Amino acid sequence: MNKERKFSFYLEGERIPNFKSLSGIEYKEVYTQSDWHGEVPNPGQYPFTRGIHKDMYRGRLWTRRQQSGFGTPQQSNERIRYLLKIGQTGINMDVDVATKLGLDPDHPLAQGDVGLQGTSLCTFEDMKTLYTDIPLDRVSSTLIVQPPCSAIVMAQYLLLAKERGIPWENLIGTIMNCAITQFVGPTFEATTAFFPIDLTIKIGLDVMEYLVPRTPRWNIININAYNIRETGVNAVQEAAFAISLAADYIKGLMDRGLEIDSFAHRMAFFSAAHIDLFEEVAKLRAMRRIWARMLKEKFGAKSNRSMWFRTAIQTSALALTAQQPLNNIVRATIQTLAAVLGGAQSIHTTGYDEAYSLPTEESHKLSIRTQQIIAYETKVANSVDPLGGSYLVETLTEQLEEQIWELMKVIENKGGFIQCFKEGWVEEQINEARYKWANAIETGQQPMVGVNIFRDEDEDVKINIFRHTPDMQTTRIQYIQDYKSKREQEPVRRALDKIYNLVRRRPDINLFEPIMEAVEARATLQEICDAMRQATDFVIPS
Amino acid sequence: MVYKRRKRIVLGKVGLDAHDNGLRIVSKWLMDSGYEVIYAGLYNTPERIVQVAIEENADAIGISFLGGEHLFYTDKLAKLLKGKDMGDVKLIIGGVIPPDDVDKLKELGASSVFTPGTMRDTIISIIDGILKG
Repeated sequence: MNKERKFSFYLEGERIPNFKSLSGIEYKEVYTQSDWHGEVPNPGQYPFTRGIHKDMYRGRLWTRRQQSGFGTPQQSNERIRYLLKIGQTGINMDVDVATKLGLDPDHPLAQGDVGLQGTSLCTFEDMKTLYTDIPLDRVSSTLIVQPPCSAIVMAQYLLLAKERGIPWENLIGTIMNCAITQFVGPTFEATTAFFPIDLTIKIGLDVMEYLVPRTPRWNIININAYNIRETGVNAVQEAAFAISLAADYIKGLMDRGLEIDSFAHRMAFFSAAHIDLFEEVAKLRAMRRIWARMLKEKFGAKSNRSMWFRTAIQTSALALTAQQPLNNIVRATIQTLAAVLGGAQSIHTTGYDEAYSLPTEESHKLSIRTQQIIAYETKVANSVDPLGGSYLVETLTEQLEEQIWELMKVIENKGGFIQCFKEGWVEEQINEARYKWANAIETGQQPMVGVNIFRDEDEDVKINIFRHTPDMQTTRIQYIQDYKSKREQEPVRRALDKIYNLVRRRPDINLFEPIMEAVEARATLQEICDAMRQATDFVIPS
Repeated sequence: MVYKRRKRIVLGKVGLDAHDNGLRIVSKWLMDSGYEVIYAGLYNTPERIVQVAIEENADAIGISFLGGEHLFYTDKLAKLLKGKDMGDVKLIIGGVIPPDDVDKLKELGASSVFTPGTMRDTIISIIDGILKG
């Protein structure tokens, strides 16, 4: 854009290209009593539109929970301790792609990806290293991993607690454990290539069923709405997909004979905060309302806690740009504000360097400071649901709620979310949304500063980038090879045979305990997954 | 009139990263612009990608990265192409790439590197330029 053009902008009067929300709702010029004149129950009262607690952040601030994890467990331990030192209040541990897919670092297809996007976590000893000097019963941990590996990583964690003499009922945290959306959203190939999908779903339920009576303060699943959203779908789809998927999990557990109020309060969500401030706030309010009604009316929950929609938030990276990366600090601040105004339980503020690499220590710190400034300086957390009663936000909440229910009905009529996923319907919705999002940026209908407007043509980005240590991958590959050769082999073989036989001959039995026995016997993550793959004659890409 | 064959591009991801938003979008843009796209999807080895390029008689290979695995795999791909005497098949890289690595990728053999926020017309005109003739 040349100078002349900018000048003429000024003369014409500067206008934005449209007045639509990100999901396509037309914002009105002004909202008045004629749009909304309802009443909305107080915070802490059903259906919890205004928040699940009466006092919300006055009683307790949201948890600052920045995702971390890279390289070896030792390296990740150092980063976690750094984050806790500067004011992070919860741990959010990401494992690498190989670990998520059930591969050890020495698998040929894993070698280039070991430790890049999370930490490599394959053995019980890895978990011990990762949590060195971190008290499991005094800081809450989210473990970002989906089935089947959620069973293995959870087993590592429980065994570590046992070894340290910490009763399981004192453990606080979350296993993500979402079978369908945890990897990169509910895209078909990504989610089905390395493990049979039905067994993935089954093991997710096994983990939940095992944890419910044993770890009363532990969340048995985070339904991952964030990764759904990051494929490019809108707020309505994010909410409808995630809650429909949650309904499938609930049915799965109830089919096993679990009573709704015994587990629903241990289910939580992980949602996105995109850049459309009011729509995101309205989305979270609508999700709370829908969850409460669904639990009460459809699933017969009696306990209020079952009806609480609790969510972790990550600020959406789709809104961030590689161009003029400092602008991302501003965006992430507004997105974090949306999460706070929306009443989130914990927040990860995405780093400004997201379009380049994992966060550096500096960028991690900035994300924490962003949240601390909002929490301590701005006063926005002083009153609960400060936007409640706003004509605009209440109207949007109602509009979104209606659209989300509608889409949930469509999904239910097709047999539920998991069925829609298997049949490729979800994949179609995602691809359509991706092209639409790309097109909106191309045409300028979705303005992005630095990309399709106010772009610096000869921008030479100067940014401090996180770099992995050069020998990290070879260190990990060597580690796992030594580990496998130096342990006592017989107990490993026995434990793996047991898993193989159970999967082959007793498909209904809960696999959590046999998996924990294998971890204790020093079987590696991939060995445990391979036993199950072989038992189902499943072949992975090569 | 001389029949002109449409240029063929193999698009895919190698290794274990499955973030394919960008790849899907670029794939559509290329098809809309008259290219024939052979979509190899996720979880490929470099060997498999090169094999597909041979079988499909492709003019270019486009690989998308996100997690920091770009140097490792671009090096492998470029060496495989050279080893099979396929130096005329252009290697195009896209995705989350730190600025300092763009030149490194070109030194390894990439004809072009597209980072996030590159607009459609830029991508198409550069690929048109690389594959012209």
